[in-house]
Amino acid sequence: MLNTIDTSFDSCIKCTVCTTRCPVAEVNPDYPGPKQAGPDGERLRIKNPALYDEALQHCTNCKRCEVACPSGVHVGTVIQLAKARHGGFKKGPREFILSHTDMMGSLSTPAAPVVNIATQLKPVKKLLDKVFGIDQRQTLPKYTHQTFRRWFQQQKAQQNRFDRKISFFHGCFTNYNDPTVGKHLVAVLNAMNIGVTLLKKEKCCGVPLIANGFFDKARKNAELNMGQFADSLADSECVLATEPSCAMTLRDEYPEVLHVDNHAIKERILFASAFITREFAKGNKPDMTPVNLRVAYHSPCHLIKQGGVIHTMELLNSIPGLEVIMLDQKCCGMSGTYGFKKENYQTSQNIGQGVFDQIEALNVDYVVTDCESCKMQIEMNTAHKVLHPLTLMAQSLA
Amino acid sequence: MNYDVIVIGGGLAGLTGAIRCAEAGLKTVVISAGESALAFASGAIDVFGIEQDNSFVECPFAAIRHLPSTHPYQKVGAASLQQGLTFFTEQMAAAGIQLSNFGQQNHGRLTALGAIRPAWLSQEGADSLPLLAPAEGIRRVAIINIAGFRDFQPALMAAGMKRHPGFSEAEFILADIKTATLNINTRNAYELRSLELARTLKRDLFSQPNGINILSSALQKAAGNADLVVIPSVLAVEGGNELIRQLETLTGLRICEVATLPPSLPGMRMASALKQRFRQLGGMFLEGDQVLCGCFAENRLSSVKTRLNPDMPISASHFILATGSFFSQGLASDRHHLSEPVFGLDVDAPDSRDQWSDHRFMDGKPHNLSHFGINTSEQLNPYRNGQKIHNLYCAGAVLNGFNPVQEASSGGVAIGTGWFAANRIIATMPQAEETC
Ligand SMILES: Cc1cc2nc3c(=O)[nH]c(=O)nc-3n(C[C@H](O)[C@H](O)[C@H](O)COP(=O)(O)OP(=O)(O)OC[C@H]3O[C@@H](n4cnc5c(N)ncnc54)[C@H](O)[C@@H]3O)c2cc1C
Ligand code: SF4
Ligand code: SF4
Repeated sequence: MLNTIDTSFDSCIKCTVCTTRCPVAEVNPDYPGPKQAGPDGERLRIKNPALYDEALQHCTNCKRCEVACPSGVHVGTVIQLAKARHGGFKKGPREFILSHTDMMGSLSTPAAPVVNIATQLKPVKKLLDKVFGIDQRQTLPKYTHQTFRRWFQQQKAQQNRFDRKISFFHGCFTNYNDPTVGKHLVAVLNAMNIGVTLLKKEKCCGVPLIANGFFDKARKNAELNMGQFADSLADSECVLATEPSCAMTLRDEYPEVLHVDNHAIKERILFASAFITREFAKGNKPDMTPVNLRVAYHSPCHLIKQGGVIHTMELLNSIPGLEVIMLDQKCCGMSGTYGFKKENYQTSQNIGQGVFDQIEALNVDYVVTDCESCKMQIEMNTAHKVLHPLTLMAQSLA
Repeated sequence: MNYDVIVIGGGLAGLTGAIRCAEAGLKTVVISAGESALAFASGAIDVFGIEQDNSFVECPFAAIRHLPSTHPYQKVGAASLQQGLTFFTEQMAAAGIQLSNFGQQNHGRLTALGAIRPAWLSQEGADSLPLLAPAEGIRRVAIINIAGFRDFQPALMAAGMKRHPGFSEAEFILADIKTATLNINTRNAYELRSLELARTLKRDLFSQPNGINILSSALQKAAGNADLVVIPSVLAVEGGNELIRQLETLTGLRICEVATLPPSLPGMRMASALKQRFRQLGGMFLEGDQVLCGCFAENRLSSVKTRLNPDMPISASHFILATGSFFSQGLASDRHHLSEPVFGLDVDAPDSRDQWSDHRFMDGKPHNLSHFGINTSEQLNPYRNGQKIHNLYCAGAVLNGFNPVQEASSGGVAIGTGWFAANRIIATMPQAEETC
């Protein structure tokens, strides 16, 4: 029996480095931090599952603990799996609404103008706050009237003209909330003589489902997506994602957290900047005109985790005229659906303060980040507009 | 992707070298698998403190001239070592941490066990004592803890200090400050560790306008008329040194903070200051990725592959390997061999296990293992299958020929070799601006 238990967490040498880096432990004393919640707690939980600590719910799965651990312990994943085994999630209507991003999107987009106005109204926000516990101080993301997929229908013929093709996993936000980044990806790749196709069907990557405890649903989505990838990779080079959390989930969380095997195609699922800079290295670089702006770059947690910051920085540095200042790598505190929950609002703000302060102290034209959730948080809490790196690159295309 | 310099390992050695390269205008990236040993270190810099016969070294820069030629200090040279340490002191000051020294001489720093260790640079909050007469002018020592903090034992520290002849006659006042006195609310046992305490104090005490006064009067009351007040370093990570200075002004006492069991706040402070400085100078710090191997051609390293981006090698014209010792996995061992796991560089180690192991776990002698490491040329270039790699330099604890703990030299070796490697690179790069 013993040998079926994964004890890799025991390579922990109890150095506490992970806890020094946990943004939640830094501001919320109710959370014991990754060392205790992860490898320490796991020893107890193996003995007796009842020794599960409810405080684990505070973990946002940002993975900063894993990035810092000098012993290679998958601290964040150990915690997610413990939560999953225990079923220690509150899964009320709010969790359902926040996490089923694709379902909510397909319900909301047809009525986007009405939904958008409604969700910005004070009484509605109050109601959402009271009934569901979605904090009224948060600005809810708007829905787009025309989904990215609908817009893409008109691009199909154009895309078929390219010899080279990639598949684009657009994710929920680009499809239902704001298609801008998707459109810019198409523009950038086309300028590099690469066409874009979509998967016949795609489901939410699963990141909000994992965070809210809907593991079975997340696994179902993962299996469907994997099937789609296998099909699409028959006539496209790779699958690209523009959202760091989607890319991390498709590449790393599928096998590690959801136990969905992806090893045969993992190396062909890429974060967009990684693919683009690889093309640059091969000499496939579009003509670019100067974009004379000074911007601050914020690195999203899930991009740090997958080693993608180097690619986005390479992409930004290749844009002529652009001055890029890299912010100290702190968490913005939003963590997808986390910051929307009433009980997390203050924690989320306190975590993000370090980022907001840095931005306000710099005199920049824009903030740049790859993640839509970071973008929301920064726009709500600073006076700055936030752009995706691909938006700047699209702007620079001659 | 192409860089001027890739530094592998983001500890004291790697970051010192990286900051120097970035400052000279080189496009520099640091790839570091995780937090370095700095999170556990005292936050002071030892240069060379203990001779073979266990006597303390008063003047480290003079003493290193007598070291064997294989010692990293002989390759770097005393002049370059001093320049490196001056550079390091300036960089830390630019990041807000003032380091002090006693000129050419070592000073003594107190440890949490009451020992006096020779160091050359200390943070302001850690009171530097004269090395050979540490008790000068000190008749009463107050050792004060925050009640419930388990990683610091005043009685243990006092017992350690009393073993020193200068302190054997001193009077020791041992006291606790209650958390209630400080209005801090520690509900969970885990909140009574160094970092958590600092966070709690920040939230519950220092956020109040008179917070520091509450602490200073508590300290005053506990310490009485002590000539030296020792407290564990739990008050603050950032700005911790300034806080001690403010407390000294408010109380009129001489206060010394000592690093505790990990995490060590003065060490963390130093690590974040170095990273911040590197980024300010335009460097890129990539944490959580690990260099797996390199591509070599004609005795040069052309690119490295990392765990997270195995299909996208990163190339550079120069490289610094600063991956630390066994603890940081810069060196590896199995039952029969010692090796360098990233590039398979030649490691200077005896063939027979008997020569690097001891039958007794602790026999009071320096452990042989810490003497081993990568064998390098005079310029710190390593060898691979006997061939010198010209554009790769090694720095810090990964090097052979020194015994960091026994000699009390780890910080100085890390800074000196990191600085030296960076300067070798700058000298060969036409685009580097000469600023030094
Ligand atoms: C408990 C303790 C107390 C100390 N106290 C003092 C003191 O009082 N005074 C003093 O002067 N010094 C002290 N030191 C030593 C000092 O802090 C440094 O550890 C030492 O100088 C070595 O630094 P380094 O940069 O060579 O290596 P390290 O600090 O060990 O850093 C090596 C880095 O390389 C990374 N790495 C390893 N392999 C790879 C790879 N393949 N790819 C990418 N990254 C990799 C590691 O993750 C690590 O971050 C102390 C150390 C410890 C552990
Ligand atoms: S950083 Fe890694 S080794 Fe250190 S306590 Fe955390 S999990 Fe354990
Ligand atoms: S994943 Fe993030 S929030 Fe969770 S324990 Fe790790 S660092 Fe903390």
